[in-house]
Amino acid sequence: MMEEKKLICHKCQKELELKKTNFSYLGHIFFTEVPRCPECGLVFISEDLVKGRISEVEMQMEDK
Amino acid sequence: MTEQNEFVKECLQNERAFCTAECPFNLDVRDFVGKIQQGRFNVAYRTYQNAVGFSGIVSALCPEPCKQVCPMKDAGGSISMKLLEIAAMSYARNTAPDQYNMPPKGNRIAIIGGGISGLACALRLTTKKYDVTIYEKSYLLGGHLFDLLNPEIFLDDIKQQFINENYTLLLNTEISSLDDLSYDAIYIATGKGGNDFGLSHNEEGAFATTKSGVFIGGSIAGVDTMTAIAHGLNVSGAIERFLKVGKMNHPEEATGTKLLYEGIRITKADAVEPSNGKTFTKEESVDEANRCLKCACDACVHHSPLMNYFKKFPKRIADEVEVTIRPSTLDGNGTVCTRLISTCNHCGLCKEVCPKDIDTGEFLRESMQAMHKKGAMPWAFHEFYMRDMEFSNNEAALVKLPKGHKKSSYMFFPGCQLGASDPRYVTESYKFLTQHFPDTALMLNCCGAPADWAGDVENHAKVIGKIKDDWINLGKPIAIFACPMCKQMLQRFLPEIEGQFLYNIIDEKGINLKKNTKKEIASVFDPCASRYESALQSSIRNLATKAGFNLEPLPMEGKMAECCSYGGHVAIAYPPYVSHNVQKRIEQNNNPYITYCSNCRDIFTAAKKPTWHILDIIFDLDNENRVLPTISERRDRRLKLKQQLLNEFWKESSIMEKPAIEVLISQELKEKLNSKYILESDIYTIVGNCEQSGNKLFNPNSETFTGYMQIGKMTYWVEYRARQERGFELVNAYCHRMKIEEGE
Repeated sequence: MMEEKKLICHKCQKELELKKTNFSYLGHIFFTEVPRCPECGLVFISEDLVKGRISEVEMQMEDK
Repeated sequence: MTEQNEFVKECLQNERAFCTAECPFNLDVRDFVGKIQQGRFNVAYRTYQNAVGFSGIVSALCPEPCKQVCPMKDAGGSISMKLLEIAAMSYARNTAPDQYNMPPKGNRIAIIGGGISGLACALRLTTKKYDVTIYEKSYLLGGHLFDLLNPEIFLDDIKQQFINENYTLLLNTEISSLDDLSYDAIYIATGKGGNDFGLSHNEEGAFATTKSGVFIGGSIAGVDTMTAIAHGLNVSGAIERFLKVGKMNHPEEATGTKLLYEGIRITKADAVEPSNGKTFTKEESVDEANRCLKCACDACVHHSPLMNYFKKFPKRIADEVEVTIRPSTLDGNGTVCTRLISTCNHCGLCKEVCPKDIDTGEFLRESMQAMHKKGAMPWAFHEFYMRDMEFSNNEAALVKLPKGHKKSSYMFFPGCQLGASDPRYVTESYKFLTQHFPDTALMLNCCGAPADWAGDVENHAKVIGKIKDDWINLGKPIAIFACPMCKQMLQRFLPEIEGQFLYNIIDEKGINLKKNTKKEIASVFDPCASRYESALQSSIRNLATKAGFNLEPLPMEGKMAECCSYGGHVAIAYPPYVSHNVQKRIEQNNNPYITYCSNCRDIFTAAKKPTWHILDIIFDLDNENRVLPTISERRDRRLKLKQQLLNEFWKESSIMEKPAIEVLISQELKEKLNSKYILESDIYTIVGNCEQSGNKLFNPNSETFTGYMQIGKMTYWVEYRARQERGFELVNAYCHRMKIEEGE
């Protein structure tokens, strides 16, 4: 099976690396590691992450 | 009580049942009957015995005042409480009194009079191990019960209830002066016409006399036998209070009830007759108990979709809202019921069914405003609808005097969603109106409901202000509404605008209706905003009947109209609630529905319920099997409608702007975007932005680009690829509410 190639930042032509990133929602700040461009910091968030942990935390914040 | 829950002070939720309020013993009949319904005779007996003290005597002598107030009186017969009480006694596993192992209390209490009131007092006090002495002037206990009942019955009951307790009994001992007695407290229960020792009642508290430590009650106070027993039971509380705190101010027992018969749903059921002519079998007892309505005011929880779903009464809602708006948590950010506040459809049914007119919906509307003002309401619940309102009031808006007129007598106010559902609803209606009233202007925009429902007072005021200015510029015409919600909104916030309904005018002026020759059976689904519009409701029925439909009523119609679930824009805040309610609305019967709100129509159609808008029938629009527009198509249709109206009625040609970038979106993805509330126009914007800025990621595995953009507060992601010929093709899209901040 072919190895999955990493996402590339179109502008910087660099492979994305896992880096700590901050998120905010309803006045709360969270952080997690997501792929980012080491040069310009462009972020990638997968649909799986959105469907999973992100929507879970969103719901928790709304009902906290 | 705080300002927040002031509105529930009239709530009757905890009021006693009518029967309990009449019962001298305040027997909790709902509790007692509930236990019989479950066949739990033992616990039912305990409930009864604890309330009355002498179950044998009371069940034999009670004249059942409860029967006089029972709402079942004229619906098959009052509940036979006496027979249920006898059943509880007969079928209880164990009727022996409980034995309490408690140390003796030091206080000594004298009871003057060995009648049933004095004995009832003695029973309560000896059970708590007080040292009780009863003085009886005659040679035996029982007092006036000898005139009423076979002595075997009451003497047995007295013996049985005192089986575990001790007291000193001094028979043939008449007390002539209280000065001879040295006790910590005294209860005078000397019976009808008995000696009151020159003491009078002290208003300070229940059973109190003017002499400290001396209490009076029972038949001497002129009450009947049952009340005399109740006095004896209750005076023990006043005596204990005196012994503990030295005060005679024991509160009077609460009596009566504020419960109203109109709050009770009566189900007729014939009284159960005992098969042996005297007493119930176990099964008969359960059957009789099942007839009991267990009267309580729960009209709101029964009818209001919100209160029914959450099983919460207004008082509970008020408390939860209070801690949500004014949290006592350290960070001040508790949001216990933001979702509940956001779940109200604002249909008004709660107020309609409440016998005290408590308006929980209005309370939730104000709560929404308070939460919005604080910035504590999740913005995501309403952002989509607020953007939609913005669109309706800008790109898709059209406010115009009719061609050749400098002012207008009427203005057609179709509302924003009618044309979004089907532009012909608006064009055909406007054509009809201008034929009858040529000086009818057009005001195509949104009534401001989305801002009102979002609690966004500031934006709402702007919308209302703009409508008012436009209306003045049009010459203050009479508004003609197609949507009951728009009329409700404008009548509330701009009462100076006189309003009529399109359907009343069509009904009055007449129109050639294409006859439904099949004489199809249908039911009119009244939108919630039509609740108090009886003339409108009859016009709709007239028109449908004239069109050849056989109408069958729905259980919930007219003043009892329910919201289709669109009201309040709840779909994003609480999707499961919406599905639950839509299902309940469409299952009222199997007939196709005819409605006159395009949201009701579209929501039911989406749930596969055959539904016509009355305009489908009036203008023969053949919409029976149409495919519902997506949220993006709803925007396109509004733009096309505007263009069409300008062309047709003002002969002004306009060209719809094409998106600057071409993005091919498959049908499957269009459906996904629709379900996620993602607009196709936003997809164009984001792809364009990624291409222009170069802020995009390349996936070498799928050879696609991915990028994101925040529009409003929502962050949208697109995955796309360039097409060989030209433009792009959307591969995927999704969105989240969390904002991406800077990384390290």
